[in-house]
Amino acid sequence: MHAAMKFGRNQTQVNEGRNIMNNRRLFLKNGLLTIVGIAALAKGAKSEAASKPQKWGMIIDLNRCTGCQACVIACKAQNKTAPDQFNTRVLSLEDGNYPESRVIFTPVQCNHCEDPRCVPACPLEATFKLPNGIVVTDWDKCQSYGACVPACPYGARFLDERHGNKVDKCDFCLNRLEQGLLPACVESCEANARLFGDMDAPAGEFAEYLRRKDLAVRKPELKIKTSVRYVRSRKGKKGGSL
Amino acid sequence: MQAGAALTRRSILKGAAAGTALLVLGVEKAKAAAKWLSPRRVQKSAATTMDKDVKVVHSVCLSCNARCGVRAVVENGKLVKQSGNPYHHYNSRFEPIPYGTPVKDTLALPSPVCGKSQGAPNSTYNPYRIVKPLKRSGARGSGKFEPIEWEQLIQEIAQGGKHFAHLGEDRVIPGIKDMDSDALIDPGAPELGPVRNGFVFIGGRDQNARKEFSDRFVKDALGSVNRVGHTDICGIGFRMGTWAFTEKKEVEIKADPLNAEYILLFGANIYEALQPGINTYGAIVGNRSSRDKVKFTIIDPRATNASGHAESWIPIKPCQDGAFAMGMIRWIVENDRHNKEFLTAPNPKVAAQRGHACYSNATHLVIVDEKHKNNRKFLRVSDLDPSAPAEEGKAYVVLSKDGEALAFDKAEDALLAAETSVKDASGKEIKVKSSFSLMREGVMEHSVKGYAKLAGVEAAQIERVAREFTSHGTRAAVTQYHGAGNYLSGTYAAYAIAMLNAMIGNLDRKGGYMKSSGGAGAWNEGLYDLKNFAGKRKPQGVMMSREKSAYEKSTEFKKKGYPSKRPWFPFSKGGLCVETLSGIDQQYPYPCKILFTYFFNPVYSIPGGYRYKETLQSFDKVPLHVSIDIAINESNIFADYIVPDVTYPEGHYGFLTPHAPTLKFTGVRTPTIEPLTGKTADGRPFCEETFLVDLARAAGLPGFGENAIKGKDGRTRPLTSGEDFYLRGIANLASAAKVPQASAEEVAFVEKNYPVARFKDLLPAAEWQQVCYVLARGGVFDKTYEDVFDGEKHKFGLKRVVLYNEELATTRNSITGEFFSGTLKYVQPVTPTGTDIEKADKDYPFTLISHKMNLHTQSRTVLHDWSLEVFPENFIVVNEKDAKKLGLGSGAKVRLVSRSNPKGVTGKLQVSELVRPGCLGVSFHYGHTQLGAARLPIGKAEEVFLGGSSVTDKDGLIPNPRHGTGINPNDLSRLDESFGNTPMIDPVGGIPDFSSTRVRIEKA
Repeated sequence: MHAAMKFGRNQTQVNEGRNIMNNRRLFLKNGLLTIVGIAALAKGAKSEAASKPQKWGMIIDLNRCTGCQACVIACKAQNKTAPDQFNTRVLSLEDGNYPESRVIFTPVQCNHCEDPRCVPACPLEATFKLPNGIVVTDWDKCQSYGACVPACPYGARFLDERHGNKVDKCDFCLNRLEQGLLPACVESCEANARLFGDMDAPAGEFAEYLRRKDLAVRKPELKIKTSVRYVRSRKGKKGGSL
Repeated sequence: MQAGAALTRRSILKGAAAGTALLVLGVEKAKAAAKWLSPRRVQKSAATTMDKDVKVVHSVCLSCNARCGVRAVVENGKLVKQSGNPYHHYNSRFEPIPYGTPVKDTLALPSPVCGKSQGAPNSTYNPYRIVKPLKRSGARGSGKFEPIEWEQLIQEIAQGGKHFAHLGEDRVIPGIKDMDSDALIDPGAPELGPVRNGFVFIGGRDQNARKEFSDRFVKDALGSVNRVGHTDICGIGFRMGTWAFTEKKEVEIKADPLNAEYILLFGANIYEALQPGINTYGAIVGNRSSRDKVKFTIIDPRATNASGHAESWIPIKPCQDGAFAMGMIRWIVENDRHNKEFLTAPNPKVAAQRGHACYSNATHLVIVDEKHKNNRKFLRVSDLDPSAPAEEGKAYVVLSKDGEALAFDKAEDALLAAETSVKDASGKEIKVKSSFSLMREGVMEHSVKGYAKLAGVEAAQIERVAREFTSHGTRAAVTQYHGAGNYLSGTYAAYAIAMLNAMIGNLDRKGGYMKSSGGAGAWNEGLYDLKNFAGKRKPQGVMMSREKSAYEKSTEFKKKGYPSKRPWFPFSKGGLCVETLSGIDQQYPYPCKILFTYFFNPVYSIPGGYRYKETLQSFDKVPLHVSIDIAINESNIFADYIVPDVTYPEGHYGFLTPHAPTLKFTGVRTPTIEPLTGKTADGRPFCEETFLVDLARAAGLPGFGENAIKGKDGRTRPLTSGEDFYLRGIANLASAAKVPQASAEEVAFVEKNYPVARFKDLLPAAEWQQVCYVLARGGVFDKTYEDVFDGEKHKFGLKRVVLYNEELATTRNSITGEFFSGTLKYVQPVTPTGTDIEKADKDYPFTLISHKMNLHTQSRTVLHDWSLEVFPENFIVVNEKDAKKLGLGSGAKVRLVSRSNPKGVTGKLQVSELVRPGCLGVSFHYGHTQLGAARLPIGKAEEVFLGGSSVTDKDGLIPNPRHGTGINPNDLSRLDESFGNTPMIDPVGGIPDFSSTRVRIEKA
């Protein structure tokens, strides 16, 4: 039984017009309040809520991803990554045998792991995990050793040849989050395949997805706890490039 | 080491003071003091709407023709990021924020848009853009161009003369002045029209506003009838079906994606293309399907990117969508699953009583009596009673349940199937059949099994889909698009597919087959008359493409009867650029003198466009060729002059209404940055508007320059820049749509951020204030999805659809002289002279089909570096079984040859399970030989190209090899030997063929 079935299966001809809340807007309202709240606090106001950082997480629903690559380009446009390098990519996988065949799309990027393997791989401690869960790289410390690159089992890290081969990867658009904006990839996904939010104070559709019991991770055999998780493709024999 | 690191961070956190712990970077106090260097600071990542000193503009995209909303972030005059517009229905799955939301409250709201749009900076700042006008300095096609001064360009084109004498060309080039004459092209054939018609303007990627601006020059000022669009190569195929279905009233009809429960896709690549685009239609379907609100079936020779979410994929044989649809209709009628309540409603009143905003002519009687003077036409009251008054006499006739002949608008009910005779007033019998009976006859020509065989599928598949389609009341619908119908026989294929919707009565119903609700208001009239001016001409005569003209009215017909030299298309939707170019090539029905091409790359974009290289090179066939474009491409490499234009972030003012079912809005495009092209002496940018204004003035044409635009206040104003026209258009729209006056804050927002604000003094303050309300929001989006419905009924719908089209039935094929069928008919895909390509080219075992990609549109996105980073090349996608037989694997370099291109083109194979055996799927957009792919001997190249010395040296333009990868399927397309070896077209609508070409795979 798919968790997705609880969404609307029992509803008969319900109009999709005004009746359905725009889930992204709802999150956004809540999410924004949270972020704006924090930003306001940074300016001096005090509150108990402020002492707890967000714990950013993402869930990608492969039953919504249309493989449009908007997220890939939005990320590139926002972050100006090195040519032919990407902070996020969309993998495509042929699934099934003709004519019961299909293509399954899987957006991938840094998973901001709980215990990132890249962090200890750097002898200079140039890469580290922030309290909000985002794994970042300090370019003041990075000396382009590159040991962290193969340490990542997901191939998320790469060298930026324009800047002495210092290491780069997805950072959940931290600079956008600071401003109360969503990461570029999340914003660009009109199908709402990328659900994003504070795992400690989830709202809207993100909260619904967080409650699912069928969330999957990439390379589950590695038993790594990741901040980016997936809802597998229902129709695919292989659930995706996971 | 891992645990140690964690411990360190945790202990630091513990020590963090409350309230300051979450300094902007979310880093604990200790580390905050040390500040770490984010790569984004070094890479100078793009500014956001929240940054200081940025400008934010809401406008409309043109990275494809879907026209989604965009929000531009501009920093230091440069477009650094483009995302969507939260006010626009297309960026919000049809549910935007309320139109009245103050713009300042929207800046933090997310708004998605696709990768083509996000990639806009790639083309706007592309180094291969030309910023100065060019004149040919060598043979046509040699690539030899050099810059020419603007005033000189204008004078040469306006006046004509021996402009290439310095190259040894002795001929006199015609100027615009030479076209300004009412003398007949051919006094022996006056129907062809005046000399003016020798001026031909073909618009590639233009849209409303710029289209009307150039119409003003071509049709209204110069008076040429030859202002042609490109609807044919876009997708006239499926549009011919809806054209017939709605009696030439509508073409864009699709399944309502927001409320359909079941969508049947025919040749509709919804996750990679379509209008509305992938982030709209594709996203709505993807999102709803994930929530089990909609399921869909894909009928296509390719599985397409949507196959991962489809309930099934039916790999159909190319060109056979009509067979599948007719098989479905046969099954539906034989199993009594058609919507009789809808179909038997004889008029709008009864249909409305039954809950329908649309009615069909299923019950209306057609005269099927060869001896009758009105044979093949609808039976009318006047046929039964010639003494009936005019209005009454026009009425259609139905049979009541008792078999009595009644005027359709007097009947409460009617017989669906009828095959009988009725008596007229004099007692004479007239043989009649109902439209439904005629449609059914057409469908009954083949069994379901027979249709399945034609379509290359199983009968069980047709039955299963037909059952599913008839199991959702009126909340099922078809979306057919370019794949279904853009081929020989496409009109009847598309008509059958459209007819499926009549079978379930879903027209104009929520979740059904619906058109858009139109725009928010008129923009070319109201406060300012942008249509009329003193001296405005009325174009006359036959278009070069022979669209919308009847051969039977021509002198040629009177002299020699059938066949015509090339097909004529009286019933076509029009926009026939292919037949325009073929007409120019054959100098039929008359020669072309001057050809202007706007954002048009026919050599690349037309299947078989390679054929036009020789056309464009011929001085006899094209004495003067002027291209208006942003770069040198495969077609304007043959031009005599190239006029540099701006990209849409710099201009392309537009009023963009929906292609989407249900929606009602007008998006307004104004620039987000200042133009990057050069400027005239008086500071206007090089672009289409400046060119046409200056050319009109130099040639003494009316409608441009002083006293060109009349206002409601009786005053006239000049038209010397685009803004004179467009800004007044926005004022008209704002007034017609009755938008509020913008607040002072919003006026300030527009004046701070919008380049168009520089021209605000063209309008009185009160009008500007109302215009600012529209500009701040990027258009008029005040109607929600629900606003266009009255319960389940669409208020702005089709209102009437036909199972039998009288005009089509009484139009003759100008080659055979026979009438076209007025209703559904299975038509074999054959050329106008009856050649069956499948039989003729059976030595070429594979059918070549093409498609669009999600990061590309047509030819211009080869300039999108990011798209090329994601997809560096394209492939020849071949079914795994075929590959095995050939003994070839993915990556194998092969040569594809066709009968019309025996030399062929090379490409790389990709083995796949996602294409039907016997078919090769090759995407469009690659296989370029220009647009940065070639070295060109341009004179003074450094000052010509935006990239300056980064892409030029003393020998001219330096190519970027990335622009030349892959293969262009159009280079193989089959030409028609019966018509001068020009691209194949369907005789009914002039549909160019994209799916009949057959190829052979050879070693590279």
